Parts: sequence; structure tokens; C-alpha cells
Amino acid sequence: MATSQEILEALADYQGQCNENKRLRKMQRDWSKLIHFVAEDTGDTFTMNVVKGEIVSFEAGANGAPDIIVTATSESLCDMFWGDLNPSQKYLAGEIKVKATQEDVIRLDAITMIIWPDV
Amino acid sequence: MMGNDLAKIKAQALSDFSKFIGPMKVRTMKAAGLDIIEHKREGVNVWDITGEKYIDCQTGSGIMNVGRRNPDIVEALKKALDTYDIGVFLLCSKPKADLAKKLAEITPGDLKCTIFGVGGGEANDAAIKIARGFTMKKEIIYTQRAYHGHTGFSLSAIGRDAYKEPFEPLMPGFIMVPFGDIEAIKKAITADTAAIILEPIQGEGGINIPPDDYLPQVRKLCDDHEILLILDEIQTGFARTGKMFASEHWGVVPDIMTVAKSLGGGIYPISATIFKEEIQDFFIPHPFIHLSTFGGSDLGCIVGMAVIDYIQKHDLAGHAEKMGIRFRTGLDALLKDYPSLLLEVRQSGLMIGLQYTNESIGPRMTKKLAERGVIAIYTGNDPSICRLMPPLVITPEEVDFVLNALAESMKELSGEAGLGKND
Repeated sequence: MATSQEILEALADYQGQCNENKRLRKMQRDWSKLIHFVAEDTGDTFTMNVVKGEIVSFEAGANGAPDIIVTATSESLCDMFWGDLNPSQKYLAGEIKVKATQEDVIRLDAITMIIWPDV
Repeated sequence: MMGNDLAKIKAQALSDFSKFIGPMKVRTMKAAGLDIIEHKREGVNVWDITGEKYIDCQTGSGIMNVGRRNPDIVEALKKALDTYDIGVFLLCSKPKADLAKKLAEITPGDLKCTIFGVGGGEANDAAIKIARGFTMKKEIIYTQRAYHGHTGFSLSAIGRDAYKEPFEPLMPGFIMVPFGDIEAIKKAITADTAAIILEPIQGEGGINIPPDDYLPQVRKLCDDHEILLILDEIQTGFARTGKMFASEHWGVVPDIMTVAKSLGGGIYPISATIFKEEIQDFFIPHPFIHLSTFGGSDLGCIVGMAVIDYIQKHDLAGHAEKMGIRFRTGLDALLKDYPSLLLEVRQSGLMIGLQYTNESIGPRMTKKLAERGVIAIYTGNDPSICRLMPPLVITPEEVDFVLNALAESMKELSGEAGLGKND
């Protein structure tokens, strides 16, 4: 189980990796979404705001009306933000649940593929 | 060749595909358990290069009605190569004339003239161009969740924003209405409406079958307002639904019909836009206004003739209906056994849509079915729907194999987390 603080630290790293990756930013420049990440084991929710491919903010709590809801264990969320798991594989195994369009599911997975190509 | 060698060849092919064609496609297929390198193909089966055998229920969304590498079709192409090549598109040829004549014979009503193309999008592009050119009107009514291809005019008639938004602005004058809603069409019609384009049964949209009075009413509206009716039979045609063309279920004759996919028998790409003789008048002063270098190649036309002959000789329409009934019996049992997973079955012959209870189930079932030797992928426009479109030559035993794989997959999935409607 990961604590809220650990998830926020992982999110901070994820934000840095995404925003500093020029290829990713260019690729996702037409993608603006409000995303809720729900840790099903702890009940914590985190909100991430992506504007034109840039993660402009993230915070604890369920804020705003989300375009995407990602639900997983707190460990899986941390692993995803650290690049330690393949989101698509976990999604297809039912370990990560995503309420979103298929295009958005692929966009989320594309982030991992660009930052961590070997995952 | 040893297993390790084949595994290495497969890994290299996937790596090359990823590098030189597209990494995200390989990644997505791999996650779904569908990182198959198509190798041997026969009947309803395809083998991965490592020897794993699958029943193909995806069939490129209905390309393989006569089965994969049907020997009769392969033989027709081999024989054709003794004499023919693609041909020169500006010249006349007997294979083109033969296939156009055959299409006039087998299509409903007074559909008579054909423009050939290579693929479905091109066929629908031609249909929309003809509609605008013939009527001298501009507006095209299409439906939500429709799929007509990824080319210019056809793309504008797709009922899914995700396919269109990156390429806007698209063609002007396209008006979208809900599928199956006659009142919506009535409201959308103006004095400038050239055509209504529909799939008789939506394929990518999720195997959506309209109310029984829908197509006849659309036909009447078209007649009353001098609007052309374009029916896209690209997925539904060539016996897929138990009739040679799905529109025959409702006795509706369009002004323009488009066909592709199975016309090529999975062997040679070809499509056709077939229209009523009066529409030919548009081409009298413009005989060279719509051309296709490879469309209606002589080789493709010979293959098309062989495909139609095979479908008729073996009564694949009747067989599709019988196998469809066998599927339905098994699927009804699954509906009863797994109500938390399976909400509805929509079916016409061997065009089958499984409506799952939520969007996460389609991709997960795809993976579980692949693990059990069945290729069945959720529809492009809606991942909560699995499309089953096996070759029409499928046997009762093969139907049972697919049903068993579905039952085992659902049993396994029902024991997993994340199946609630809100997940």
C-alpha cells in the first residue's frame, strides 16, 4: 500500500518527466483532459489537469468534472507514475480500470511508452 | 524449423513492425494478446508464425466470407495470371465487363452500373461524389456511429469524432443524425439534400440493427424529396447476414450501393459502387471524371467473379443463416449465465455483436479469447461491443469451439474485479 504522500511524490516525478519530454509534449499538444486517479485500497483520489499535453497541475482530492477516471491500487498508481508497469497490460488484466474513451486509454499508455520505452 | 528459431523470427518481425510501421499498434496488440504474426491461413483459421492456431472471427471486419485462402479463389487468381495483369484503367476489358454485369444481376432491383475501386472508402467517396454530381445538391445526411471509410468524402460521413477531429476542416455539408431515427432524418432534410448514406446494419458502430420500418421509411423519404439513398453494404454484403445483401431483409433498393471487403475474397482488393441506370446520365458528359488506377483491376474482377460464384454455388447465405442460429442458441445461454457481463446479443446471420455491460470488458474479453485461440476484437466505435464476423464457411464444430471459448472467458472474467457498470 502506498501513502498519499508517496503517490504525490510519484506524480511530481511523472509531471516532470512528461513536461520535460519535448517529443511527448508535441505529440500530445492536442490533448487537454482533467483526470482523476482513484486509489481503491486507500480511498484517496488525485486530480491531474492536462492542458495541451502539459501537466499543469496535480493535487490530492477529487476536483472538477473528470474526463477520465483511472482506478487502481495505490501501489499500481505509484508504479504507473514511476514507470514501473505497463498500463495497457494492467488495464487488459483488469487491474487498472479506466473510465474513458479508447483514444484516451491509448493516450495514457502512449505517455508511458514514450518516457519508458522498455516498460 | 525449431521453436526457438520461430520465436526469434516472430520477435524480429514484431520489432521491425514496431520500428518501421508503428510502435503503438504493436504495443496495443501485444497487451491484448494479439501480437500474432499471421502466417498460414486456411478456411476459418490463421496460424501465428510460431504455430499457434486461431479461429478468425475478426476477418478484417468481413473480408473473408469465403474463408481464408479459399482454394477456388486462389486457383482463379493463379489461372488469371497466365493471361492478365492489372490492366490499364482507361481501356475496356472483359473481366471488368463480366463483373459489372454479374453485380447488376445479383444486386437488388434495378441497380445496374458500376464504378470500380480498390477499397470501401474509395467506393463510398465515389458514391457521395456521384450523389452530388447527379443531383447538383450538396448536403449529405449520415448517422451517428456510422463507418464508411477513412478517405476524404467517406471520412466526413463517419459518425465518430475521434476519427475526424485531427483532420478538420472536413468536407462541408455533412449532417449527422441518430441511426434508426426517421424523425431526425425528416428534420435534417432540406432542399439541398443530395443523399442519405447508411449502413443497413452498422458494423463498426456496434452491430446496430435498425427498427424494421426504418429503411423502408428512409426509402420513401428519399423518393418524396428526390434524394438519393446510398446503402453501404461493405460489411453486410455477400451473404454475411443470411441474404446476399442485408437490404434484402427489408426489401429496400438503394439508388447507389457500395461493396468491397469480401468481393476480393481476401485475395485481391476490389470495391464497387453500383448505381441505377438513370444516374449513369451524370457520366455521359463526364466519362473520365472519376478514375481509379488500380480500381477494378482485371485480376481483381476475376477474383470477384470467383467469389460470387462460390457464394452462390455453396449457398453461403443459407449456411450463414444456419450457423447464425447455432451461434444464437449458445449466446442466449451465455446471456442467461453471465448477466453481469453480457447485456445483449445483436445478430443478423453471421454478423454478431455482443453488447457487454461496460467498456472495459470488450478489451479484456479480446485478450481472454485470444488465449483460447479465437480472434474477436471489440468494435472500433464502441469497446463495449465485441464483433463476431467469422468466415461464412465456418462449420458447426467451429461455431461450438468459439462458443466454448466465449463461455470459458466469461467464466474466468466473472471471477475478476472491476466489472461493475461504473468501473
